[in-house]
Amino acid sequence: MTEKELYKRLNEVFRDVFDDDGITVDEYTTADDIDDWDSIEHITLIGAVEDEFSMRFKMGEVSGMKNVGEMAKIIMSRGK
Amino acid sequence: MVFADLFFLYFFLPVCLIFYFMTRNLHIRNAVLIAFSLIFYAWGEPIWVSILIISAAVDYINGRVIDKYRGKPQARMAVVWSLIVNLGILVGFKYTGFIMENVNSLLGTSFNVPNIKLPIGISFYTFQTISYTIDCYWGKVKTQKNFFRFLLYVSLFPQLVAGPIVRYSTIGEEINDRKTTMQDVSEGMSRIILGIGKKVLIANALSKVVTTCFGEMSDGFAAVSNISVAGAWFGAAMVGLWYYFDFSGYSDIAIGLGRIFGFHFDENFKYPFICKSISEFWQRWHISLSSFFRDYLLYLPLFGKRRKYGGLFLVWFCTGLWHGASWNFILWGLYYGLFILMELKIGKKRMKKWSPVFSHIYTKVVIAIGFGIFYFEDLGALGRFFKALVGANGNSLTDSVTTTIFRNYLYVILLAVIFSMPVIPKLKELCMKQKSRAVFIQAAGVVCNVAILLVSSIMLVNTTNNPFLYFRF
Repeated sequence: MTEKELYKRLNEVFRDVFDDDGITVDEYTTADDIDDWDSIEHITLIGAVEDEFSMRFKMGEVSGMKNVGEMAKIIMSRGK
Repeated sequence: MVFADLFFLYFFLPVCLIFYFMTRNLHIRNAVLIAFSLIFYAWGEPIWVSILIISAAVDYINGRVIDKYRGKPQARMAVVWSLIVNLGILVGFKYTGFIMENVNSLLGTSFNVPNIKLPIGISFYTFQTISYTIDCYWGKVKTQKNFFRFLLYVSLFPQLVAGPIVRYSTIGEEINDRKTTMQDVSEGMSRIILGIGKKVLIANALSKVVTTCFGEMSDGFAAVSNISVAGAWFGAAMVGLWYYFDFSGYSDIAIGLGRIFGFHFDENFKYPFICKSISEFWQRWHISLSSFFRDYLLYLPLFGKRRKYGGLFLVWFCTGLWHGASWNFILWGLYYGLFILMELKIGKKRMKKWSPVFSHIYTKVVIAIGFGIFYFEDLGALGRFFKALVGANGNSLTDSVTTTIFRNYLYVILLAVIFSMPVIPKLKELCMKQKSRAVFIQAAGVVCNVAILLVSSIMLVNTTNNPFLYFRF
């Protein structure tokens, strides 16, 4: 999976979870950039990302993610 | 020892500062801080200081084990051990009586219900040491290899007895290397005085308003039986302001003291009453506790596909329980959890379309009732409070007690309402736009600080016991 493909799939997940087709994420996107992305919706997002990439995040990773770039790095290393 | 006390302000703190600034050597400075922190704690808890040191020692060793066996089962065991020891200490001291009481009433048994005195600050420092060990395990912080530096993190007296729950990641670097600038001293002093003013001038007066309206635990909350509808709402709002000024005052002093010693703690309150949603309220109220539960509990993968709702329930149940071994606190936590869930279902986008007036009325009503639930530790009295809120207790809409106390304390209530809003930062921002005004505002700030300290000190002369509310948690 290339980085471009990863971000394309991530974009779809974000658009689905937050029900907003205008969302385009990059490595610098944070929760501050997306209206509904709070600590609780983060759980929904994580679940959707895990399903999409057939992988599981560790709790420390879920709690410590600072931006989409960090999420993408973890997916690159373990996702399918 | 408490901060809002003449002995602390005019003897303990100055002596500590003299010893601290006598040297530039960081090792000696750290040793001075550890010594004064342990004295500070042992002043009120001469025996239980041992629990504090045990908790620090256990998690220091856990950190070292994690560092040595990273990625191996021993590291995971160190985290489990930290949880067992710290939560064991916390449950043993704080919840044994509550558990026995409920076992007795559920099973009809008659086990002895022990009346264990809660060591001050235990709910705060056990959480700090747990957070350190977990952060070490997650690789978020570097393991502290010097026990005394770790003991300083746990025992540091500015944040020891009632928070904020300072994370190791916030001050770890500063424990190893820090400087105090003149700006730190000046802003730290101002912050301490602000906190003392909040506690002595406002919170203590509001406590009298609340106890007149509702009574207190020692008298079985007798007054709430006679309170009018307006009095019940007014009293509940005053509980909120009282707790805000007491606890945020304490946090101001803690943050200010930290600054003087070169530590930069995160903010614990950000004007919570300006919130437009309950979720926002909790992003502004006791931030160090809500972020602790968010980071270490919310994402526990325990509930499978329902982990969002499971995590939410767990966080709010624990938030309630953390505040005390009483059903009203659990009810209070779940009450807030319910509104957070409701807001989650409505969605932020839809809530943003609400008129600001409606948002403020909705949040302030929910928060006022919430503080009522928080205040009445006796469930019978809580029931009487609910009845009073809707006039179901047969009392009138208003009463003379409420109007008299409102008139008598009008100046404090006005001050409390004004200063619970971000008035000071707005004024500063406006005045700092012009240089001539900046000089004026700085001079006015100094005069205000001196006046607040003077008046607070005079008021403290006549006060024998002045504990902060959150000391008992």
